[in-house]
Amino acid sequence: MEPSPARRTLRAVAAWLVVLIFMFPLFWWVLASIKPYQAIFSTVPNYVDFTPTTSNYQVTLLGRSRVEVAVEQGGAAAGTAGGASSYYSIPTIIDSAIVAVGSTALALMLATLAAYALSRMQFRGQQHFVFWILSQRMMPPIAVAIPIFFLFRDLGLRDNHLGLILAHTLINLPLAVLLMKSFFDDVPKDVDEAAMIDGATRLQTFRKVVLPMVRGGLAATAVLCFIFSWTEFLLSLQLTTSIRTIPVKISTFVTSTGTEWGFITALGSAAILPSFLFILLVQRHLVRGLTLGSLKE
Amino acid sequence: MTATAIAGRRQGFALPRFMTSEHPLPWLLPMTAMLLVFGLYPFVFSIWLSLHEWNRFTRAFDFVGAEQWVTAFNDARMWNALGVTVLYTAVCLALQFVLGMAIALLLDDDRRGYGFLRALMTLPLVVPPAVTGLMFLLMLDGQFGVLSYYMEAIGLIDPLRPLLANPSTALIGVVLADVWQWTPFMVLIFLAGLRALPKEPFEAAAIDGASSFQMFRKLTLPMLGRVIAVAMLIRGIDLFRIYDYIYVMTGGGPGTTTEALSFYSGRVFTTGNFSYAATLSLIVLIAATLSANLVMRMFRVRF
Repeated sequence: MEPSPARRTLRAVAAWLVVLIFMFPLFWWVLASIKPYQAIFSTVPNYVDFTPTTSNYQVTLLGRSRVEVAVEQGGAAAGTAGGASSYYSIPTIIDSAIVAVGSTALALMLATLAAYALSRMQFRGQQHFVFWILSQRMMPPIAVAIPIFFLFRDLGLRDNHLGLILAHTLINLPLAVLLMKSFFDDVPKDVDEAAMIDGATRLQTFRKVVLPMVRGGLAATAVLCFIFSWTEFLLSLQLTTSIRTIPVKISTFVTSTGTEWGFITALGSAAILPSFLFILLVQRHLVRGLTLGSLKE
Repeated sequence: MTATAIAGRRQGFALPRFMTSEHPLPWLLPMTAMLLVFGLYPFVFSIWLSLHEWNRFTRAFDFVGAEQWVTAFNDARMWNALGVTVLYTAVCLALQFVLGMAIALLLDDDRRGYGFLRALMTLPLVVPPAVTGLMFLLMLDGQFGVLSYYMEAIGLIDPLRPLLANPSTALIGVVLADVWQWTPFMVLIFLAGLRALPKEPFEAAAIDGASSFQMFRKLTLPMLGRVIAVAMLIRGIDLFRIYDYIYVMTGGGPGTTTEALSFYSGRVFTTGNFSYAATLSLIVLIAATLSANLVMRMFRVRF
């Protein structure tokens, strides 16, 4: 039944090839972030024929002025004068982190409580209730953004972290609930019953017995919520003006005088790194949970 | 029941059952409250908007009944946008399903190195969609795009008509971005399904001399049925509301060739016609709900 060595090699080659093709856009993106200004606009693909530079990172992450960096590079005329917008993005990254961590924590708390009940207690209309939760995700983002814009304006939640945290929690809840439910379903109900026969209440059973058993699932759900919030664009764009999350900030680098590919790619690369590290940490649990319990009959 | 009784006795008084942790209500209440305020409210508000129209003289909303809906059904641009949405959703789903399944089968191996490949494959998922759009914009640019360069070299596109500027191919560019970003999502889900399959039926089939293609069709596909349905459901819902890629890459153009319904709704919103924007959004919601229900019924998906 073991495949022949030739077939094994062929398969490995095919697997590497596919993955490398999928990695190419990212490779090209990161490569552009260390290219000098002119090399990005080379009409023939330029892989190695340039002097790598950290100037794009210096401008976006260290807040150095682009002119200063350009002069240092030797290319005095490098780039255009540029718009008035600032390219320094550390405050943006902090805003994004506050919103992502806050909404992840909130979504996780609400979703875990609800998912436990959905997994352990049957009640009438449960299927409809779950579908209703799922349908929250079917609204086009703009349709959610319009009313929330007015609601937040009246509640004073516009343009602050709390408002965006609530908005992102809202988008994350449906998937978080379904994910957590599938993780709870993986824990046999006997576990709860044994604990309750020993005199524990539901709440104690949940906190002391079941919750520790789904730690991996919690981590995976948290990472997914974090990534969705970290990458969300439309609501952040509509609901904030002075606070900027990373995707919104990046979109401001597309100016009327030109697209600042160097800064876009640098900030984009810096933004992808933390999410990738997180997703690597929980990949095993994530893969299990993403089937949302559909593996069970 | 006994647990309630025990808990009640220990505390010395008994709360009504629906207020204790034995009843689902306290568990579901916080999330439901959140969804009601920020989820149901937008929905009801949208319906209200779709039945009214802003009167610029009285500076108030007038009730107009189904007028917005009649306008929508007579709006050729709405039908075009709905067509784009359905086409886009169908093409992306089909491509992501086929590619996702093929890659999952390819990477479902315990030998050394495959774990690393599986980890790399998750990378596209963490890229903000707006950044993905820019990524493909950079690569598909008519002058300095690396993909454009190679596509021209093999004669796939005309150098004078870059992919995204050509009305008949612009949507392909957006599909490329979507497929790149979300095929890994399908791969992740299918891998989870494949890894959980029992080994025995496959061993039995191998002894009976079944080819690997036969095994895939007669064993793998049916056993993964529900996993596939759930994956398509989640992905389908998100595809229906496509916005970010279009906003970044084409702005709906050239003309209206890449204008999906939720993008059209957003565009109407920015012109200040909130009522019509809400109506269009509700059409997206209705179409998505109907399709989702259909899929769930067909594949008997239960949560």
